[in-house]
Amino acid sequence: MSMSRGTAAAIALLSAALAAAGCGFGPGSGVGEVSLTVTRDYGAEQVQPPTSDEASESDTVMRVLDREAKISTRYSGGFVQAIDGLEADERFGHSFDWFFYVDGVEAPVGAADFALHGGEAIWWDYRNWSAAERVPAVVGSWPQPLLDGYEGKSHPVALECRAAGAACAAARSKLAAAGVVLAAEPSDDAIRVLVGPWARLREDPAAAQLEQGPQVSGVFADFTREAGGYRLHGLDEAGDPARDFGPDAGLVAATRRFEAPPVWIVSGATAAGVLAAAGLLDVAHLRDRYAVATEGGPETPLPVRPS
Amino acid sequence: MRSPFAYTPRPGPLQAASPGAAVVYLGAFVATAFLYSNPLVLAAVGVAAALAGYSAGAGSAVRIALRMGLTLALLIVVVNVLVVDRGETVLLRLGEAPLLGRVDITAEAMVEGAILGLRAGVAMIAFAVYSACVDPDRVLRGLRPIAGRSALTAALISRLVPVAVADAARLRDAARLRGPAAAPIGRATLLRRLMAGSLDRAVDVAATLELRGYALTRLDTARGGVLSRLDRVPHKQVRSPHRPPCVLPSLGPGRGRMRFKTRYDRCFYCVGAIVLGAAIAGLFLGADEFHAYPTIAIGLGPGTVALSALIVLSGLAPRRRHA
Repeated sequence: MSMSRGTAAAIALLSAALAAAGCGFGPGSGVGEVSLTVTRDYGAEQVQPPTSDEASESDTVMRVLDREAKISTRYSGGFVQAIDGLEADERFGHSFDWFFYVDGVEAPVGAADFALHGGEAIWWDYRNWSAAERVPAVVGSWPQPLLDGYEGKSHPVALECRAAGAACAAARSKLAAAGVVLAAEPSDDAIRVLVGPWARLREDPAAAQLEQGPQVSGVFADFTREAGGYRLHGLDEAGDPARDFGPDAGLVAATRRFEAPPVWIVSGATAAGVLAAAGLLDVAHLRDRYAVATEGGPETPLPVRPS
Repeated sequence: MRSPFAYTPRPGPLQAASPGAAVVYLGAFVATAFLYSNPLVLAAVGVAAALAGYSAGAGSAVRIALRMGLTLALLIVVVNVLVVDRGETVLLRLGEAPLLGRVDITAEAMVEGAILGLRAGVAMIAFAVYSACVDPDRVLRGLRPIAGRSALTAALISRLVPVAVADAARLRDAARLRGPAAAPIGRATLLRRLMAGSLDRAVDVAATLELRGYALTRLDTARGGVLSRLDRVPHKQVRSPHRPPCVLPSLGPGRGRMRFKTRYDRCFYCVGAIVLGAAIAGLFLGADEFHAYPTIAIGLGPGTVALSALIVLSGLAPRRRHA
């Protein structure tokens, strides 16, 4: 009798230990809602309406996508080959593939290995990657990753204003409206929001990547020096200059240097441009965009699409 | 004890066929197993290889290969479900494990593992049938015109390894016969003695081969090589009981090889070609419809079923026909 009681106690202890270690049958209990967006051509067109789904303990980006869309995979289920019949392809010498972002940050692992913790914004985009194989961060999941961090970890957000004037106050107000709490002191693991004219921001090593082109920064925009100032040019999907924005153009973009946290750039050639860019910091202007530029009027998604 | 996979001369079409025909026939099964992932086709290939083995009288080889194949398949399934956590249907969560990370047991990984295991098992059965039914000497003889020295090396190995095994048994017996009071002989000592004896024998064989002129010229008569007297003896005569046994009877001149063409060759060449041709055509026609990820999908269309039926029927080719 005492033996059976001991066995029962051992089984109960083992079960408790396994449960505590995250073991169990089936997919596990829910951990929270995740949103899923599927677009093509740098967010220009939605492939299916945005959805949200309750994620379970064992959910990965791939499992959520498989539940919400008709997909086919390759490399033993590690990579997405097609979503809703739109297949990875080579056309006219350009490579098209499916890429995904979780909370606006390019994932360091495949979709099948990216575990979800609840609350994530997942964005799949089918795009031509000939000009930029990597786009390390995007602004289209606003207010993520500023609100809750990324890759399952929260990060402080540091607002760095460099001769920004009114634009800094505008950016601060937009961030506050989105619920983003700004850190009092900058730190190494902080997601930085740089606000200021390009002449000042280009001194920052992460922001300066823009001048090396989209293959380095992932941003399809370029500030060129002209007549003592800078001028914003929008690039197309091939990385070629496609549009010369006006003198007071502003830019909102995100990039990342190595494995450091993402850096958001709110900039322009002039103070007016920076202020215009700060005005774009909301869902209406940034949703499903890699980066946006403005001349004071409606925003232009980047890369520039052929008209 | 003789290995069940060792070649045993038996009357039967597969044994009587030339090695090339047997290789084409059994190779078609192996090639199909590696071309396809559809479980129905893989199972059909396994059944066909087993049927071929049973029809050729190699039932024990098939049974042991099946047992070994099942064990290997089980091992592959276990490893696959532990290292691959892809797939939609999570059956069991094992939490975080060192090196493996998060371990989720999924139905899809299990099925993928089973397919890999099935493929390995099918290949094992086909190789077991080959090993039990195809005379290795005839294979070496067939290889001789293409790669004479390799064939010679393989022939020597196939003879010297069993001799070394017998030597080891004799040495062990001798050690045991020293009586219970004698100091135990370690494996290292036994191996050292065995190696010394094997090297002596190898030197003897090398000297014999050199005396026969193997070191001087190519074995290929067609290219003007010089052969010894025994090499020039037609194969039939070398096999004659009136002749002294030769260490390398199977390495006679290449001109004898066509003698092994039998009436079964055409059948096995045809069946092998039909199976392989149908398998390749089936690939283009979508008969291999199967994917484990992200969810399991198995195609059982008419093409897949027809190909599987054809493959199973092809397993009856080695059956003996009674006139």
